[in-house]
Amino acid sequence: MRKDIVVSSVLLAGVIALYLSLSLMDDPRAVIFPRVIILVMGVLSLLLLAQSVLVRGKGAEGEAGGGFPFGRFSGCFVLILAYFFFMERLGFYVSAFLFFVVVTLVLGSRGLTIRKGAGRVAAGAAFTAVLYVLFNRLLAVQTPKGILF
Amino acid sequence: MGEFLQYFPEALTFVNLLTLVLGVIGGLILGATPGLSPTMAVALLVPFTFHMEPATGLILLGAVYTATVAGGAISAILINIPGAPANIATLLDGHPMAKQGKSQTALYFCFISSLVGGLFGMLIMVLFTPPLAKIALRFGPSEMFWIAIFGISVMAGLSSGSIIKGLIGGMFGLLISTIGYSPLLGTPRFVFLDVLTGGVAIVPALIGLFAIPQVFSLVETLGRRIERPDFKPEKGVLLRTIVENLKMVKTLGIGSITGSIIGIIPGAGGQVAGLIAYDQVRKFSRKPESFGKGNPQGVAAAESANNAMVGPSLIPLLTLSVPGSPTAAVLLGGLLIHGLFPGPDLFLNNAQVTYTFIASLVLAQVAMCVFGIAMSRYSYMVMSVPNLFMIAAVTVLAVFGTYSVQNSFDDVIVMFALGTLMYIGRKFGFSPAPVVLGIILGPIAEDNYLKGKLIAETDVGVFSYFFTGAMNIIIILLCAASIGYSIYGEIKAYRKAKEGGI
Repeated sequence: MRKDIVVSSVLLAGVIALYLSLSLMDDPRAVIFPRVIILVMGVLSLLLLAQSVLVRGKGAEGEAGGGFPFGRFSGCFVLILAYFFFMERLGFYVSAFLFFVVVTLVLGSRGLTIRKGAGRVAAGAAFTAVLYVLFNRLLAVQTPKGILF
Repeated sequence: MGEFLQYFPEALTFVNLLTLVLGVIGGLILGATPGLSPTMAVALLVPFTFHMEPATGLILLGAVYTATVAGGAISAILINIPGAPANIATLLDGHPMAKQGKSQTALYFCFISSLVGGLFGMLIMVLFTPPLAKIALRFGPSEMFWIAIFGISVMAGLSSGSIIKGLIGGMFGLLISTIGYSPLLGTPRFVFLDVLTGGVAIVPALIGLFAIPQVFSLVETLGRRIERPDFKPEKGVLLRTIVENLKMVKTLGIGSITGSIIGIIPGAGGQVAGLIAYDQVRKFSRKPESFGKGNPQGVAAAESANNAMVGPSLIPLLTLSVPGSPTAAVLLGGLLIHGLFPGPDLFLNNAQVTYTFIASLVLAQVAMCVFGIAMSRYSYMVMSVPNLFMIAAVTVLAVFGTYSVQNSFDDVIVMFALGTLMYIGRKFGFSPAPVVLGIILGPIAEDNYLKGKLIAETDVGVFSYFFTGAMNIIIILLCAASIGYSIYGEIKAYRKAKEGGI
């Protein structure tokens, strides 16, 4: 329940901040509906806080925690951000291939051999080729252009 | 029924049939892949249907929806991990059968029972959807506003362990839907960053909320070993299983009827259908003790029920915009991006697209059974796809799908931000489905609330307009019943946990 106390407190702070931000809006008529929603959210956050304080015991605590792999998670997060950065510069297909290969090599670096590495590069190439043929050639979907294609 | 038969041939054109078959095969593979939820699979596909004809796009989404529910049984049976919540009851007897070396038989039981239940559910949908849509014709702004709130209250109760968290999620979704320019006055709201100028579109939200948390969850599970039973295909099993399966008239009947009834109730979902049907069949069985130890009737009951649920779960969606399951909520997003608004409009002005879609769902049930059986012997390969590849592939598809709708990099940033936020939210017990429904139903709720308010101020007053009238009261009572039932369930679970603790 400690998790619920934290989350309801954060929600309440957010709700108050959002409610105060409504006064900055140009036309008060445009915020009628958002104001109602924010008020309801405030009431629900208070109820959650009350429930987490009053009701003792094991409640819904979300997904089972276990040991959180912080290193792997932050590695994946940074790689996705890097993918976004390079997507507009290198083009969609080149960056997708590089992302596929780098993610599989970095996150699966334990017990990596040359053969396994080559397999992942081949899988990345095959995946990108399928995307290219399906979406660029057959469906003519617009994607960010960069070097090569 | 007449219009259904009139438009049935439209589903049989070459392009539509090809789309249907590809959708079913793809859906079976996606459903069988551990770590890929059907909802996420449909969410990832929504943007690609944008480039297709509306009917073809909807056929693809419908086929994937149908096939992922059945495909989820493959991982439930083979590795004891349900591909979807709807397959929870399947693993109770399916996995013990696999451990006894009867994987092939269990999979055949699953697909044949799915076909029987699925066709029954579709029949219910074809018969009941058009008349119910006509009732929705009478709805004014106040009723439509309450219907939107009803949808959120139902999904809030279904998708989270806590009704309060579910409702907060729904309200959060409604709030997200107000970002951007006000539809009536054109003034900006909550545009704190440039990327939010255009508001939050449905597709980036759908993909972000379902796909990105899944990617991070896969990262968490990297390195965990999964026990896989031996899979040895044998000859002659199919015919034997068909005969044995079709003899289970009572089991299939209970499964199909239970699934159809549960499907019509918005938000009850496939897992409830499967578990109730399983429980009923066990109670009526002469050998209830054999359930949970590899009884094929358990697989037949669960699978006929969860597939019978698919058709009826679309009845409230197509008539009232209230999805019967999280995947149906994503399907609602698919309808809206093609400019199709659920309700009478769907059957009056877009009859061709709507009935072609419905006809294709019937065909998808048959295709699902045929290809499911054909692919059974290769299903083991799907289980072997490493999570590492899934992480990379899902991320790339999420980015691609988001970008391709409006060619906007801002959408990609919004998608990733929402997804990361949802991943954190899941750690605190929040679920993406109410948020998505809030985003989808937000404009409907706001538009009808403001219209109703304008009408009310010149007429009977806001309170009387929204809180009186038979239909308003019925929908408000349904909202209250939905929330009340969830609270009752929570109290019951709390008491049980407390007693267990003592």
